[in-house]
Amino acid sequence: MRTTFQEELDLLEATLQEEGELVLRALRGSINALEQRDHELASEVIAFDDDVDQRYVAIEEGVQSLLARQTPVATDLRLVLAILHVNLHLERMADYCVTIAKLSQLVPDVEPSPRFVEGFEEMGARCEEMIRVALDSFVKRDLEGAESLVDLDELVDRANRRVVERILELGEAPRMREYGLRMVLVSRALERIGDHAVDIGEQISYLLTGEFREFSDASHSHPRS
Amino acid sequence: MGNRSDTISIDVAPVEIAQRRHAPLPENREVVFDVQDLGVRYGATTAVSGVDFDIYRNMITAVIGPSGCGKSTFIRCLNRMNDLVPGAQVDGKILYHGEDLYGSGVDPVEVRRRIGMVFQRPNPFPKSIYDNVAWGPRVLGMRKDLDERVERALRGAALWEEVKDRLKRSALSLSGGQQQRLCIARAIAIEPEVLLLDEPASALDPIATTSIEELMHGLKRDFTLVIVTHNMQQAARVADMTAFFSLEVGEGRRTGVLVEYDATEKIFTNPSDQRTEDYVTGRFG
Repeated sequence: MRTTFQEELDLLEATLQEEGELVLRALRGSINALEQRDHELASEVIAFDDDVDQRYVAIEEGVQSLLARQTPVATDLRLVLAILHVNLHLERMADYCVTIAKLSQLVPDVEPSPRFVEGFEEMGARCEEMIRVALDSFVKRDLEGAESLVDLDELVDRANRRVVERILELGEAPRMREYGLRMVLVSRALERIGDHAVDIGEQISYLLTGEFREFSDASHSHPRS
Repeated sequence: MGNRSDTISIDVAPVEIAQRRHAPLPENREVVFDVQDLGVRYGATTAVSGVDFDIYRNMITAVIGPSGCGKSTFIRCLNRMNDLVPGAQVDGKILYHGEDLYGSGVDPVEVRRRIGMVFQRPNPFPKSIYDNVAWGPRVLGMRKDLDERVERALRGAALWEEVKDRLKRSALSLSGGQQQRLCIARAIAIEPEVLLLDEPASALDPIATTSIEELMHGLKRDFTLVIVTHNMQQAARVADMTAFFSLEVGEGRRTGVLVEYDATEKIFTNPSDQRTEDYVTGRFG
């Protein structure tokens, strides 16, 4: 039994979960900053990204060291490769949270309808759920949970389309148009966070089955709902 | 830049470069050995039992497993080396190109000419480099163009450039890695079809090991290779197919059995049997 090796693998996985928790915090913070127009909170989210990056680098280095010294094979190899990919997906998610926080600071002083804010609240909550499902499925080695991310993502995509439709109704006033433009990017950032959660699900599937598989074919557009 | 006809064209499409190294597809495999329910006993002790698999032409097949699992016993059945062990009894069948290797009328000497063997410790004769390689052909009456034959064998074993100016020197003056390649040259000088290698690099340093492994890649164009190794990474590096043997313990007996046989890539990324998984990941025992 390779005790040291197993301990190092466990530590990497624990750090990955920690990184996931930080991403959840960043996501919640960025949505709150947007809803409440809290520029200070937005600045915190932006500064907070360093914590995520720190975990990201620690995991990268840990994986590099494991590959160089321990030559993992079979399930161990798949776990190390999955950690490497999931690490990148989480880091990207955190970057999107920073994007949302920055956009929230750039929003002109306009009063859109409350429906608008509700749309982002819904997308944010759905993305949070997806990240939780992804992290839990990884810990529990739960293939069904991982596969359920596709359906959850479809809900985020629908919410994204609704937000875009509402933006088109904002009118032609220059400040409204600027606001709408920024909000398209926020919506897009949330939609991408959902996609990354699905990608984590695919890594879990690879870890468990040894097969590379795309859950959904991104090159073919989904039917509009 | 316009149309430049003088640029070097690259024949290999980028996508091919990125493709994984696969063992040839099952339909392209030609069976050399068909091992059927093979068992070996030494007196009352059963060393291996129930071994059943095919070994394919122009491939490197690695046999891995813990000490005492019968790897060497198995490989020695493939050229009837076990005939020389008193009390050894072989059950089951090994078909070599469809012919029963242990059938009556099969000459074990002819079997060993076609199926050569290289051992763990380099064992050159205390003779000149040339005589070591020429010895087999001389004994078998292959005296025609002996110089060419010796050169061809030494080139085949990637040793020619290093020894061509000192063929009359003693083989014992060579380094360990060179001696092992000399033993491979000696084995291929009589043009066998199969080479069995029993831990061929375990007594060598990493550089000599690399040269033996590189040599094996080259040799499989002309030969079928079966290698026993306790170095799993070596199997992962060189072999197309890997057979994992393990020990079955019961009623006070320990018997070697074949647990899993598959493409090397499969064995080392996604093995089918939990025992294989435990062994290759180091969780054995």
